[in-house]
Amino acid sequence: MAAEISDRVRAIAEARGLPESEVFERALERGLEDLWDDLVLAQYLDGDLDREDAIDRVGRTKVERAEREREIVEEDVDWGLNA
Amino acid sequence: MTLAAVSDAGPLIHLAEIDALELLAAFDTLLIPETVYAEVETGGIPDGLSDRSYELVDAAARPVPSTELDAGERAALAVATDYDVTFLTDDLAAREAASEAGVDVHGSIGIIALGYHRGMLHREQAASLMHALQQETSLFVTRAIVERGIRQLDESHRTDD
Repeated sequence: MAAEISDRVRAIAEARGLPESEVFERALERGLEDLWDDLVLAQYLDGDLDREDAIDRVGRTKVERAEREREIVEEDVDWGLNA
Repeated sequence: MTLAAVSDAGPLIHLAEIDALELLAAFDTLLIPETVYAEVETGGIPDGLSDRSYELVDAAARPVPSTELDAGERAALAVATDYDVTFLTDDLAAREAASEAGVDVHGSIGIIALGYHRGMLHREQAASLMHALQQETSLFVTRAIVERGIRQLDESHRTDD
């Protein structure tokens, strides 16, 4: 995995004309944003954060998408457990 | 209860990615439109698919009008309507089109829950596959949602006890 990461960083740096350190920085920012979204949406879906606060932190689109996903997963699991 | 379904490419690809195509055996009848098969074939037919029992069907005669759906999704929805079977898709737009058309529609997470319900998977296997679906496939679903799905499995288990 470490070798694969190094290879990918090198490939991205070459293709984009960036130093490898900047590729790492961007990867960290992007990864951190995903983890942040997961945390906020989990807190909202678990009832630990109200809807407006969740929207303030990750945006309406992501909150609405999570709500739709929740409906779908609940419908699907319920169907699977009763089919 | 007899189960019959038609799948678009999504569940076939996603279940193959987590090595879980055997769960399709939960369906007594599985239909795959030729258009969908061709789409899956483009990426290489998954190893496990040839071990499964399915029927290739031609849906070209009755296309479903929708600009949002691709050819495979339109074909699968047309077959679901014609044959009155469950439509399996992981695509949100296809799912909404199916619901609007009154077609029973479910996705890969539902298939995992079905496999658990039918005794093909233990609780840990079902939870692990749900996590894998979120982490290892191109299916877009938030981790928090998957955790909720797993809790639903646990709740049903406790209810059964």
